[in-house]
Amino acid sequence: MKTLIKLANLKKVFSTDEVETHALSDINLEIKQGEYLSIAGPSGCGKSTLLSILGLLDTSSEGCYTLNGHDVVDINAKQRAAIRNKEIGFVFQSFNLISELTVAENVALPLTYRKDLSKTERTELVTAALEKVDMGHRTKHYPSQLSGGQQQRVAVARAIAGNPSIILADEPTGNLDSKNAELVMALLDKLHAEGATICMVTHDPRGAKRAERIIEIFDGRIVSDSPTSETHIEEAVA
Amino acid sequence: MNILSDINFAFRTLIKNPKFTALTIFVMTTGLTLCIYMFSFIHGSLVAPLPFENGERIRAVDTIYNGMQYQGTSFRVHDFEDIKKRVQSYEVFDAYDQGTVNLSTTDRAVKYTGHYVKESFFEISEAKPQLGRLLTNDDGLSGAEPVTLISHTLWQNMFAGDKDILGKKLRINTEPTTIVGVMPDSYQFPSAGRIWLPYTTTAKGIARKDGDYVAVYGVLKPGISDEQANAELRSLMAELEESYPKLNSNTSAHVWTLQSAAMGSGTPTIILAMELAVGFILLLACINVGNLLFSRAIEKGKETAIRTALGAPRSRLIMQMMWESTLICTISGVLAVLFAGLWLEVANKDLLSSFPFDPPFWWNIQITQSSIIAAIVITLVTALITGILPALKATSGDFNATLRDGTRGAQSKASGRLSKMIVISEVVLSCALLLLSTGMVYSVNQQNNIDYGTTIEDIFTARVGLPEAEYKSDEKRLQYYQNLKATLLAEPEISAVSLTRTIPGNGASYQNILLEGVDYGKKPQYPSSSSVGVDHNYFSVMTINLREGRLFDSRDKIGSPLTAVVTDKFVNKFFKDGVALGKRFKFIETDNDWYTVIGVVNDVIHGQPMSFNIEKPTAFISIQQTPKRFMSVVIKTVASDAQNVPNLAKIVADSIQKVERDAPAYDIKTLRNSIIGRNAGMNFVSELFLVFAAASMVLAFSGIYGVMSNTIIQKTQEIGIRRALGADNSDIYKYFIKQGLKQLVIGLAIGVPMGVALVTMLEESSIAQGSLMLYFSVPAFISFIILLAVYYPVSRALKMEPCEALRHE
Repeated sequence: MKTLIKLANLKKVFSTDEVETHALSDINLEIKQGEYLSIAGPSGCGKSTLLSILGLLDTSSEGCYTLNGHDVVDINAKQRAAIRNKEIGFVFQSFNLISELTVAENVALPLTYRKDLSKTERTELVTAALEKVDMGHRTKHYPSQLSGGQQQRVAVARAIAGNPSIILADEPTGNLDSKNAELVMALLDKLHAEGATICMVTHDPRGAKRAERIIEIFDGRIVSDSPTSETHIEEAVA
Repeated sequence: MNILSDINFAFRTLIKNPKFTALTIFVMTTGLTLCIYMFSFIHGSLVAPLPFENGERIRAVDTIYNGMQYQGTSFRVHDFEDIKKRVQSYEVFDAYDQGTVNLSTTDRAVKYTGHYVKESFFEISEAKPQLGRLLTNDDGLSGAEPVTLISHTLWQNMFAGDKDILGKKLRINTEPTTIVGVMPDSYQFPSAGRIWLPYTTTAKGIARKDGDYVAVYGVLKPGISDEQANAELRSLMAELEESYPKLNSNTSAHVWTLQSAAMGSGTPTIILAMELAVGFILLLACINVGNLLFSRAIEKGKETAIRTALGAPRSRLIMQMMWESTLICTISGVLAVLFAGLWLEVANKDLLSSFPFDPPFWWNIQITQSSIIAAIVITLVTALITGILPALKATSGDFNATLRDGTRGAQSKASGRLSKMIVISEVVLSCALLLLSTGMVYSVNQQNNIDYGTTIEDIFTARVGLPEAEYKSDEKRLQYYQNLKATLLAEPEISAVSLTRTIPGNGASYQNILLEGVDYGKKPQYPSSSSVGVDHNYFSVMTINLREGRLFDSRDKIGSPLTAVVTDKFVNKFFKDGVALGKRFKFIETDNDWYTVIGVVNDVIHGQPMSFNIEKPTAFISIQQTPKRFMSVVIKTVASDAQNVPNLAKIVADSIQKVERDAPAYDIKTLRNSIIGRNAGMNFVSELFLVFAAASMVLAFSGIYGVMSNTIIQKTQEIGIRRALGADNSDIYKYFIKQGLKQLVIGLAIGVPMGVALVTMLEESSIAQGSLMLYFSVPAFISFIILLAVYYPVSRALKMEPCEALRHE
């Protein structure tokens, strides 16, 4: 399989006047196209920081980051925005839907930042994405009119609408009850089965189990990187 | 106990947030200062009660001529006497005369404005002399000994407070006159008088067209309204117009308070504009402070939720928030009273020094008991307005949701709508206010820089009035003027001298005229023109350009056919074929003979440079043919700047005194200063509106910036989301600018027409002037504010990494 993401000797240091915190140290990681991996570790270990750097929402302090064969460390903010828009789909724990926009408008939002799509193409992509998450009947609703599970499904639709190279999910079931969490996880399974590359940070052992590879982080370092079948999930996500 | 604890809590909260407290107090103080200042100014000048028993029923009765309201000695004595016989609405309906009085003792002569009055004049003004007695109606009878009352100031200045002044004689207009009383310093009815003489003006034995003009006043009967009195007066004037169509064409009259009369006919419109401006400013201040309090209440949403969870009733929470606004408004109110007091003191000095006349006696422009009461009421109302809405809104959310997830979620959409409404309101109010204020300032600026059609800068002027008894004949007057010119020209500092009845910028006599060969029908509506008597060299001294024909010369003298030089407007208005030379006209009221137009010159503005004066046609007539007793001398100096010639005023005064001891010069000043003095009232109002414009700019900027900035800060997380989804910086800027533009467009769609309507309303009174430049630049300025208000907060938010913005609370 083709390597989609490659991190080499990546570091992230947060500095204040008096304190220097090493959030990530010597991170070396490869993600292949079509992989489904989860990142686990205790609170504050750096997994969300890693996901932010992977999603170009934050920059590393040192090291190399290659996405789809391109170096993305030394690119400007505009290029980073363009890559986020085309290559990456985000699913957040708190859904992060914009309350003033309808479901369809929320899903269309990343597509509106693309200059190469016509309105018709955008509508088609939105409809397809919403159908995929079984939310095609709620296009004109506002987020406040949906349940948490429905909101997260809309967020998933927004993440996949532009056919990104990878979906980055940060605790996607963290704000959901078990029934809705199961529905969202099933949705991610389905997307993976259809060929999507997914990288997920989760505390939910059952969710983590669904990935095919688990990376454990502790104190900013990768302490384990192995297929799910070889990992004691409960310990890894504790 | 609860109240004390709540006040204490509110006080501590304010101290803990010094920047917030300073900002809210600054904004509120600005609004309240302007409001209290305006209240005190209007109350102390226009609506201040007259300090007499029947003060509220005393009225001035003035004429309306060609739609324009006149005041003072504007009633022909014949009209007054006719009306007095039939009018029913008044307990007292009487007249007084007012005129320039030359007053001389053995060693000096001065000019004062004298009031020729009857007993009723003193009765209604509750006059009591400080020394001696008042004047009686018998003093005005033919053959009575000439007597006068003098003012306290005159007694002190001219007679050093001589206690034996009664019975001593003064030369008034060359006639020895006995002083029978001294009025107290406080007596200034109806204006700051210096000398009172018996009323002798009468219609008896005098042709109607030669009748003197008098000032009419009255005391309305109890229960009679101004509308009733006006209706009766209009009807009586209409009858006179029908009886005397030549003299009374387009003439009516109206009743108004002395205060309104003193301020002029345009004043109610100016006051209305001021009240609107101040109201808008106060509203802007309230919206700004209310919004700041609301934003803070939203920030403290969790604290409010905890209090609710602990059992605090909503009313208590509202009261706690109300105390905060009450404290802010109270502190602002106290500061506002202090600042308004200081400002009034400065304004009073400014007014007294720049106005060419003494202020009316009822003026009391300072912080009074009424101002304090008004300040308390306004402060309480603003505290209520700024406090209650934010408190109600902030305590009406879903507290359970707030406690559960610690987000603003439940209120964000509602507060977003409120923020948009606030921005729209700010745009509407600031746009209307800025258009109103700048329209006013622009108009006054235009007036100050207008071309009067003559030279202004290097001219010195003085007024002279010849004693009637000594200068009855035209020849004698002409001889005096020749001597005067020769004496002045003998001074080495003076290069040219001329004479005019009215200098540019001063109001000229505006009379009905009859154009030869025009049939005006049975109910004639005669046209009018200004009439200005000038010396033959006036046009060259004043640099007035001849367009065609000739100027006055030695052919235009006493006894020769009357001639006139008219302005372009005269030609354009009255001669459709554009040919004026050789045409004839006459002034209906004053002349039997025709004037022949011999020349055409450029337009010259007489009176304040307002549209109705600018549009007036003028006919210059030769003083060599019609020499009058009162004349203005215009002087050109050898030096280019008359203002800087040392002692010029004294040189002119002494020279004039040399020619005729009983004709002292007065109003000695440069023409520029004379014009500045005439425009002082409008300049004062313009300065006020400049303050309003500045205040509205500050409040609009701080308000719009505050709301937009707060809205964008609250949307930092949304910015993070959008950036995570691929929006680059320009996308974010575009999004927020588009949001801001929507509010801007709605605000301008309401504010611009509102502002234009206000300017148009004032344009009708020549008080404000709109222009495309203003109508473009004010919305452009507000658009600029909106852009700034979007740009800076968005820039700040964009400095964060997207992941940081996503975590922003």
